Amino acid sequence: MKSYDVVVVGGGIIGLATAYYLVKNGVRKIAIIEKEYIGSGSTGRCGTGIRQQFTTKEHIVLMRESVKIWRLWEEILPKPIHFRQGGYLWLLRSEEEDNEYRKYVALQNLFGVDSRIISKDEIKEIVPDINLEGIFGASWCPSDGSAYPQDVLDSLEMFLKSHGVDIFDYESVVDFKKTSDRVISIKTDKDEYALDNLLIAAGYATKSLANKLGFDIPVKNYRHQIVVSEPLKIFLSPMVVDRSLYFTQTYRGRIIGGTDTNEEETDDLTLTYNFLQKFSSELVSVFSKLSSVRLMRHWSGFYVVSPDKHPILGPTPLKNVFIGTGYSGHGFMLGPIVGKLLAHYITYGMFFLEEANHLTLDRFEKGMLIQEKAVIG
Amino acid sequence: MEIFEHPILRFERKSKITFFFEGNPVEAYPQETVAMALYRNGINVFSYSPKLHRPRGLFCAIGKCSSCLMEVNGIPNVRTCILNVQEGMKVKRQNGLGDLPKTSEFLKSEKEYSPTVLVIGSGPAGLMASITLKEKGVDVLLIEQNPNLGGQLIKQTHKFFGSQKEKAGTRGIEIANELVKELNSLDVNYFTNTTLFSFYPRENVFLAFKDNELLKIFPKFVVFATGASEKMIPFEGNDLPNVMGAGAAQTLVNVYGIKVGTNVLMVGAGNVGLIVSYQLLQAGINVKAVVEASDKIGGYFVHAAKLTRFGVPIYTRTTIKKAVGVDKVEKAILVELDENFNETSKEFEIDVDAILLSVGLQPSYQLLAQAGCEMKYIPSLGGYVPLRSKELETSVKNFYIAGDVGGIEEASTAMLEGKLASLSILKKLGFDVEKEKEALELDLAKLRSTPFSKKILQGLKEVAYE
Repeated sequence: MKSYDVVVVGGGIIGLATAYYLVKNGVRKIAIIEKEYIGSGSTGRCGTGIRQQFTTKEHIVLMRESVKIWRLWEEILPKPIHFRQGGYLWLLRSEEEDNEYRKYVALQNLFGVDSRIISKDEIKEIVPDINLEGIFGASWCPSDGSAYPQDVLDSLEMFLKSHGVDIFDYESVVDFKKTSDRVISIKTDKDEYALDNLLIAAGYATKSLANKLGFDIPVKNYRHQIVVSEPLKIFLSPMVVDRSLYFTQTYRGRIIGGTDTNEEETDDLTLTYNFLQKFSSELVSVFSKLSSVRLMRHWSGFYVVSPDKHPILGPTPLKNVFIGTGYSGHGFMLGPIVGKLLAHYITYGMFFLEEANHLTLDRFEKGMLIQEKAVIG
Repeated sequence: MEIFEHPILRFERKSKITFFFEGNPVEAYPQETVAMALYRNGINVFSYSPKLHRPRGLFCAIGKCSSCLMEVNGIPNVRTCILNVQEGMKVKRQNGLGDLPKTSEFLKSEKEYSPTVLVIGSGPAGLMASITLKEKGVDVLLIEQNPNLGGQLIKQTHKFFGSQKEKAGTRGIEIANELVKELNSLDVNYFTNTTLFSFYPRENVFLAFKDNELLKIFPKFVVFATGASEKMIPFEGNDLPNVMGAGAAQTLVNVYGIKVGTNVLMVGAGNVGLIVSYQLLQAGINVKAVVEASDKIGGYFVHAAKLTRFGVPIYTRTTIKKAVGVDKVEKAILVELDENFNETSKEFEIDVDAILLSVGLQPSYQLLAQAGCEMKYIPSLGGYVPLRSKELETSVKNFYIAGDVGGIEEASTAMLEGKLASLSILKKLGFDVEKEKEALELDLAKLRSTPFSKKILQGLKEVAYE
């Protein structure tokens, strides 16, 4: 039986980023098990956005650190990931909203994020074609941005393979062999692997895998839908947020975006016309020149949402089992820093950021929840 | 590039209108598409590619590909081959990706329809399906992407083979005329110039655009009769303007009376290649050669014999290696193949200004795949095709197929399948059609009993389910 220092279940951004930092930490024998293709879960389906405009210290600090890594990755990973700091333009539609977001901006500034409240004139400078009717102002952070998920995964995969990491795609976890407090081996539909440490970073399937191991994670899966348009010449670099609507233009020229359709918890990824209609009308009301642009693809994926909309990271009731889940729609942007944190925890038994200590699974037992207000899409 | 005299066709050309290409006034006939009007005026370059800025032109001419995208009235990526030209229209070449649209007004209205049966595509299969249903009083809505009803029949000037019942001995254009006349006399509800682009199962809604109007269609049954598109083969310069599908050339010549070129090369000696070559000759276009990669002519002997009589050489075991030209085809470099289809050192070039590809068709399966129908790749049927019952129902309940979308055959089988799909629906609706259906299934089996149908029958076996 093959034996690994760390087996990672889940070939998305979290699994790959963690493996990347495990390699950097000197861990030698690493395997990633992915039940479909790399990025087939939430990463390959995400909205590409990367932002630091959050409302809690935990999210702000984690994202500030994540952006540093995104910038580094753009330079050092083997293939371009198209990380672009085009900013996030968060439209505000009332004085009350403006006042509320001034508080968030103050908090963001306190932790070193360069966000600020801007006027309608400044909005017009950043995105000239935006319809300013009913807009009061915006919260603007120029160092926010986006990256191209599939390119990020390809690049990380290339790095990992060249550093001896085994990536098993189209291989499903069937069962685990365990003692009372440890997992000894993992059984898949193709093979069995002995392991010292196990990370479950399987997105929407993390909960069911944890249940199989005898503990629960308080997360729920919600379907969210996204569309992309036909490609056009680049005219939009920021991510624009207007209430629950968000949209930006990828480096390939396609408008990508989504909105919230207030859906129930579900395991069903069926697409709805209801979404398409809501998205289109919201998009056209704020950016009317997009009214004749054709949509090319429409898909859905899961937000794995935790009770306080923050990630659940690190230790579990089993001594050598670790988890990363519950990103509540922010898994892609958090990927680099979460990967680094998880790799650190697996390698050294602790996090290197105080804020991450607030994000462990036991916070729900202890009643130490943090509440994030700024969740979009 | 206009054709004035034709042994079979008469082109009605009355008034002229003016539109603008790159700011310059250009004359066109109303009822022709933008792409055709440009070709009539000798304009072959429609856009420049995003990365390498290579010139691009027409390829399929029937709304199936994206080769003819241009900016029209400030809106980029418009399929000019299915858009009717209008007085004063502003048409521009796209240089790379399109610009952000200049207009803010697009969607003018929305309309909802709840037909009993939605028929998608108005070729032989779709027309026959619509007629069969409406004859029994069933409420049908027929959607067609192109400006004309009739699918590819409207450019078939040759007489059909087969039995009398399937209108053998009649020219395709005449069959189209007859079917359309029947459709109109039954007062079938139809929309042309309407692109159906999406299906949402949750709401059971099909979405289509007709000009600036969104159609939301909520049908009980659907017949997918979306037909097929022409295949492309890889060779250097295959993106040059005037490298196009043989069917596209046929549209230019037979539907609109426009010469595709003066001297042309036909790639592929199947029936399509042979028939289209002959039709080009009839229109006064010089077919310099037909090349065929395999060692024998694939099409019927009678069609090949007609070409030989005109002195057109058919080179077997030969293929195209390269299309040469600056803004459009100026010559073709051909190469002989060995018995394993590898290129030999024997190359030769011919001066042609158009290279036409008749290298097979593939079913237009995209909507079926989107609708969740179970698909299978069957080379003998042309590519991805849906599994279907004997009654032509797909794996999605109440979704039926008819014609080439289920596997490449020809117009006679498409008509029978259109009828069969409709009879199956009628049966579900409680009509007594058992006898008619049995007779029809017999006719269909007869049509497929020739040696040419062997491979098709084998393919059909692989996609049959109960």
